Amino acid sequence: MTVSAGAPEPAAMEDTRPAALTFDKVSMRFPDGTQAIGEVSLTIRQGEFVSIVGPSGCGKSTLLKIASGLFPQTTGTVTVDRSHLGYTFQDATLLPWRKVLGNVELLMELRGYPKEERRRIALEQISLVGLDGFANHYPKRLSGGMRMRASLARSLSLNPTVFMFDEPFGALDEITRERLNDELLSLYMRKGFTGLFITHSISEAVYLSSKVIVMSRRPGTILNVYDIPFGFPRSPELRYDPVFTELCGEISVSLREATEGGA
Amino acid sequence: MSTISPTAKGINSGAGSMSNSTPTMNTTTYQPVPFSKPRGPLSQVAMVVIPPLVVFALFLVLYTWVRSGLEPHRQFLMPSGSELWHNAFALPEIRYELLTRALTTIGIALTGLAVSIPIGILLAVIMFRAMILERALFPNIVAMQSIPTLAIIPLIQTALGFGMLPKVLIVAKFTLFAIPITLLLGLKSVDRGIIDLFRLQGARWHTILFKACFPSAAPSLFAGLRIAASLAVISAIVSELFFLAGRGGLGQMIINSKIDFKYEQMYAGLITATLLSVSVYIIFTWLGNRFFAGWHESGAPQT
Ligand SMILES: Nc1ncnc2c1ncn2[C@@H]1O[C@H](COP(=O)(O)OP(=O)(O)OP(=O)(O)O)[C@@H](O)[C@H]1O
Ligand SMILES: [Mg+2]
Repeated sequence: MTVSAGAPEPAAMEDTRPAALTFDKVSMRFPDGTQAIGEVSLTIRQGEFVSIVGPSGCGKSTLLKIASGLFPQTTGTVTVDRSHLGYTFQDATLLPWRKVLGNVELLMELRGYPKEERRRIALEQISLVGLDGFANHYPKRLSGGMRMRASLARSLSLNPTVFMFDEPFGALDEITRERLNDELLSLYMRKGFTGLFITHSISEAVYLSSKVIVMSRRPGTILNVYDIPFGFPRSPELRYDPVFTELCGEISVSLREATEGGA
Repeated sequence: MSTISPTAKGINSGAGSMSNSTPTMNTTTYQPVPFSKPRGPLSQVAMVVIPPLVVFALFLVLYTWVRSGLEPHRQFLMPSGSELWHNAFALPEIRYELLTRALTTIGIALTGLAVSIPIGILLAVIMFRAMILERALFPNIVAMQSIPTLAIIPLIQTALGFGMLPKVLIVAKFTLFAIPITLLLGLKSVDRGIIDLFRLQGARWHTILFKACFPSAAPSLFAGLRIAASLAVISAIVSELFFLAGRGGLGQMIINSKIDFKYEQMYAGLITATLLSVSVYIIFTWLGNRFFAGWHESGAPQT
């Protein structure tokens, strides 16, 4: 799977890009009978950055876990290249007994990369996420934002082609979150991965994405899809653009309907 | 409610007419508090050593007080410091005996631990592997723990004779319990997210066990090891009380001195045994702190 680096194509060209991740009539019922996902069909094309918003408990995390293979779906099919999958969790999930460097090396270690290469790539990623000088710190001594950066560096080390984020910045303050949004966008521009991003922040979703999906209450289904008409790179001023604000409003209304309306 | 004003002066002005839903505000001004200065290594050691010594000194005072209450002909039960010194610790042959017997006892204790620690770890891993194995083993481990060891010692004597083996087994039985219990708890408390992280890379069960579960459980394992270590010396001595043939350790010395009415020597044996027990505990604690100082809360230096 090759992805050209740099800005994705404008929306009109989208259909020509090959699919990076496809859900075909995927549903999911837990053994205890909880129907988490209703029926989801969704195609994410290479180089797209798609965000999902939806009521709490609607099955967003479950959807990511199905895509990554952590959970099996009950019906339907998922098509994706799992060998180069990036996945960041809601909390940083660093190993507390390893220093930042050891944490960033972990996935490569599990994949059997040779030691020197591991070290070299890890230091590169640490520098890329702005953690120079913290390679030898234990996670305990990092702030929440720094831990998230370390977690990003860890995922980046495998150079993922599809990168999934489960509310990675949910626990951070507004300013840190916006900073990390910009850094994530520049990583996206630079590495050209395909992004699937879950968030509760509508403005974050719109700011990052080429497409925003609103999910219904549990059992989750796709309620609305919004194409975001802005190109990349994006600058923080975009957040004050009237079109941006209007889109946020529209999505917000849709999300409220999803939350309050019948299931 | 609209009468509330945030200024300090006005805050209580309408208190009389207000309902009791507005509590009186008593502001206090707090001064900055400097962190205590980092202590030098010497005073750090002093902070660790002195408080227990003070408590110990109080205990000695209590001992002396109780002793002074004894009738004179019963005072041999609680020898004084000078008696202890002159009739036991000052005598080279006693010192030599204490040393060699302590070595025998510590040998039994450590061999017992060398049996119980691997078995305990193995049991924990087996129980961790599958719920059904935990269900099968756990109640039996608890049941084994509740067999009174002293009651089965005669049986052990008959079956295994009077060598080293029965004593080691007694120590192993005493010290086994704490290890699988604490380790299993630690293994099961691993962050789900960390497991998912490993599974996403297709990690095998043993990789997850060694790279995620064991490190994460190590602090609780060490808590178990500390308990086991402090029980090891005690149980080694208890085991000796029942196996008096041959040249034994401190336990044998304690019994023999009692039989010979050499109470000072008996006390010397007791004191040495206690020191042994405490040292083993301290060594395991120190090891644990060394391993976990960097990342685990329990290893952090206290401020
Ligand atoms: N292991 C499980 N067994 C049974 N039900 C589960 C399990 N995990 C999640 N669920 C249920 O599935 C539904 C979807 O959960 P999921 O974590 O995907 O929600 P979410 O959309 O990510 O919510 P949030 O936004 O709060 O993170 C929830 O109702 C939850 O109770
Ligand atoms: Mg979730």
